[in-house]
Amino acid sequence: MKRITTTPRNHWQAEVEKLGFGFHTTNVPYWDESVYYELSLAEVLAIEKATATLWELCLGAVQHVIDHKLYQQFRIPEWIVPLIEKSWTEDHPSIYGRFDLCYKNGEIKMLEFNADTPTSLYEAGIVQWFWLQEKDAQKDQFNSVHERLIQYWKYLKNYLNPGILHFTCLKETLEDLTNTEYIRDCAIQAGIETKLVFIDDLGWDHQQKQFVDLEGQAVTNIFKLYPWEWLLAEDFGKHIPEDSNRTLWIEPAWKMILSNKALLPILWQLYPDSPYLLPAYFEEGRLENYARKPILSREGANIDLVMKQLTIQQTEGEYGADGYIYQELFTLPNFADHYPVIGSWVIGQEPAGMGIREADTLVTDNKSRFVPHMIVS
Amino acid sequence: MKKSKYINLVLITATLASCDKPKNDWDENNKVHLRSDTTAPYTRVHHNSGVGTALLWYYAFRPYGNYRNGEYRRAGYYSGGIPAASNIGSNRFKGAVTRGGFGRSGFSVSS
Repeated sequence: MKRITTTPRNHWQAEVEKLGFGFHTTNVPYWDESVYYELSLAEVLAIEKATATLWELCLGAVQHVIDHKLYQQFRIPEWIVPLIEKSWTEDHPSIYGRFDLCYKNGEIKMLEFNADTPTSLYEAGIVQWFWLQEKDAQKDQFNSVHERLIQYWKYLKNYLNPGILHFTCLKETLEDLTNTEYIRDCAIQAGIETKLVFIDDLGWDHQQKQFVDLEGQAVTNIFKLYPWEWLLAEDFGKHIPEDSNRTLWIEPAWKMILSNKALLPILWQLYPDSPYLLPAYFEEGRLENYARKPILSREGANIDLVMKQLTIQQTEGEYGADGYIYQELFTLPNFADHYPVIGSWVIGQEPAGMGIREADTLVTDNKSRFVPHMIVS
Repeated sequence: MKKSKYINLVLITATLASCDKPKNDWDENNKVHLRSDTTAPYTRVHHNSGVGTALLWYYAFRPYGNYRNGEYRRAGYYSGGIPAASNIGSNRFKGAVTRGGFGRSGFSVSS
């Protein structure tokens, strides 16, 4: 894995905007093509293998948590447990997830799993692919995001409830809208009738006991780019179990187990011999060098990196009220003071590609940059 | 690694291009009063700065109605970007369904 500095394309902003990528620059650059990473095919195959293996381990962990009713460790409220178990027993489908991996000195370690609302899918599947076509079309990329999304929607089409497939996300965030509309784009190409309704606009019909969109149309299948823990904490959350349409939520309720960092100690407890896992515990004091992470947090918030009782990095945020886990410290590789994390995608149960986000610190936060990659022989 | 060299996008480029407009018309100093229903009072609306690209979506007035006996009846328009008082008024169709029960926990799910 090599970090290559290069000259960005002339008018690169216009090129990516033509793709519908409107959030390439915010207060700080987000899409950064002044840099790319080269990986060998062997390295990519290793990432692919790790991703497939980790997905299998995660499914095993969900079964374990359900079998042993470990919901309290995940701070999952009891009233939603029947829905989680039902969604698992009935095999409600998962479209995607993104493992954040550290690849250093030939070792691949899972840092966490963004299982419920992963973003950067559009950058990984589309923007960096079109970058490669202009940069060096003869080269390849670990990227079958687009094909797999369409393929999996085609497969799921027959498993959806009657009715259309709604897509929802927050208003006023172009990043969320882009990710949501991209996934909807793929569903349309799979022949599914779809409709966008912002999460703020969803209605609850008290008489029919169903969710409705702005035209009063009943919601029976819905893809949400909105975390389960937020849904449950809000006024309409309590209506989900009493929904007369038994709406199919995607990602499904069982993903609450995988999108929670309490997963990490559970995985370590179950699979201590896995080469892809780091030791992780619920209790403090079992590790000398560790990352303390809130069980529910986003974008690298509220993380402490500790070496021999000294905090070497600390990020701020508003998370942590639900508790923390402690994961052995495995610092990101240093490429000239830039620290890349690999986001490896699972789509339709299969490894599907990767994106790299690069930060200037050991914690990948909301100021990190997305940088493209290519495979070299 | 890549199955095909051809990628087709049917929706997203047009949709998002329409969002990606300068926000000249939405200067923060402008006072904007909106209502979505003629039976409702106007209220002043505010928007957060620095998110101009999504404003058109945020304030969009979307058709609103319901199905009764298999027939769709337009009740008017609705916008989640303005206060409830200016959305509903005395419109009984709009009052039959509760909205706004989701979407209060954060500004983005970015991960």
